[in-house]
Amino acid sequence: MAEHHDQHGAHGAGHDEHAGHHPNYKKIYFTLLGLLVVSVVGPVFGIVWVTLISAFGIALVKANLVIQNFMHLKWEKRIAKWFLTASLVLMALFVGGVSVDVLNHEGNNWENIAAQAAVERGLAAAAGEEVVEEEAAEPVDVGFNAPNMFNLVCASCHGAAGDGKGAAGLALDPRPANFTDPAFWAERDRARIVNVITNGGASVGRSPLMVGWSASFSAEQIEQLADYVETFRPGA
Amino acid sequence: MAFPKPQATLRSATGIPTGRLAVWWLLASEVVIFGGVLGSYLMHRLGHPEWAEAASHTNTWIGAFNTFVLLTSSFTAVLAHQAAEKGDGKKAAGFLVLTIGGALTFLMVKSYEWTVEILEGFTITANGFWSFYYTAAGLHALHVIAGAIIMGIVAADAYRGRELQRVELIGIYWHFVDVVWIFLFPLLYIAK
Repeated sequence: MAEHHDQHGAHGAGHDEHAGHHPNYKKIYFTLLGLLVVSVVGPVFGIVWVTLISAFGIALVKANLVIQNFMHLKWEKRIAKWFLTASLVLMALFVGGVSVDVLNHEGNNWENIAAQAAVERGLAAAAGEEVVEEEAAEPVDVGFNAPNMFNLVCASCHGAAGDGKGAAGLALDPRPANFTDPAFWAERDRARIVNVITNGGASVGRSPLMVGWSASFSAEQIEQLADYVETFRPGA
Repeated sequence: MAFPKPQATLRSATGIPTGRLAVWWLLASEVVIFGGVLGSYLMHRLGHPEWAEAASHTNTWIGAFNTFVLLTSSFTAVLAHQAAEKGDGKKAAGFLVLTIGGALTFLMVKSYEWTVEILEGFTITANGFWSFYYTAAGLHALHVIAGAIIMGIVAADAYRGRELQRVELIGIYWHFVDVVWIFLFPLLYIAK
């Protein structure tokens, strides 16, 4: 019996000021349901600011109602609020710290090629959605365009003009290949170009910084890229 | 033979009963976990306009229904807490069972929803949006499952009039699970 008493002791008004606060839960519950209806109806109009307020603004209001009244944070000791605030601050630091890199796909001295390619692929697929569904067997080929892909993936090092002077390539040693140099073509044939794009520079004893692209592109796409590289050849 | 109670059950050095303090501590770590996932999702979503197409395939009505289910289960959870404070363990247990019913309804709806989406080809590897969708909602669903199991244990004790203070503790956790869903709903379902 003493044990039983102790359990309730933690909740007795004398020990825990927090206990005994019970707002009108039914009223809060129906307010929450009303807000839910608004958050679903608001975006139907398709107006950006109405959607933002009705979806995200109301989410904040709903969460606050639950946290203050159902979780009783309103009546809780300050230390619990500090715990939660500290976590929120850490989260904000994380988001604030990385957002510049995640939200942008390029900066002064860098480029997120994979993210740019993902955006391009996704938008192309969305624009040609019906086509994608009809030719579901080879969805990767949709929207592939060798010059665009060269500019997206290769040009950062090899330069959009194929001269080896891409921004990311300037710092590389050895320097990226210059496709406009006759000396480059004196030593290389078509098979070698295809091989290096497929397996990387290291496969022929050249720079490992030129990585292989066999995982990203099909053999056919690599042939198209090789065709495009050959257009830089002097006199081509 | 009864085991002696752990000291943590009885003392409240900070002015908060230690059990409840531990729940807040747990939730502070959960804020970082869910905050990290949702913050990352939000940043990627803003940086990837093509995700809007993927997001247009989520079913707003199913998401809204599950929001209704969780809000209702939070309501029954807080009524359980109120009953427990009045010392009515049987009533508290009854409300907790209703809350577990809410959890099971939520999970069944989620299973149906995911089955439809996966059969349509929207799997976790389909693209970045679907990866976040299944990761965030899956992590949340694991919390729903854990909450329902713990609530069952607390309800069984409460029915016998034991450990009534735990009714509030599992309630606080449950409301947090509800709050996470309140943010997941607009992020995954409304923002098309």
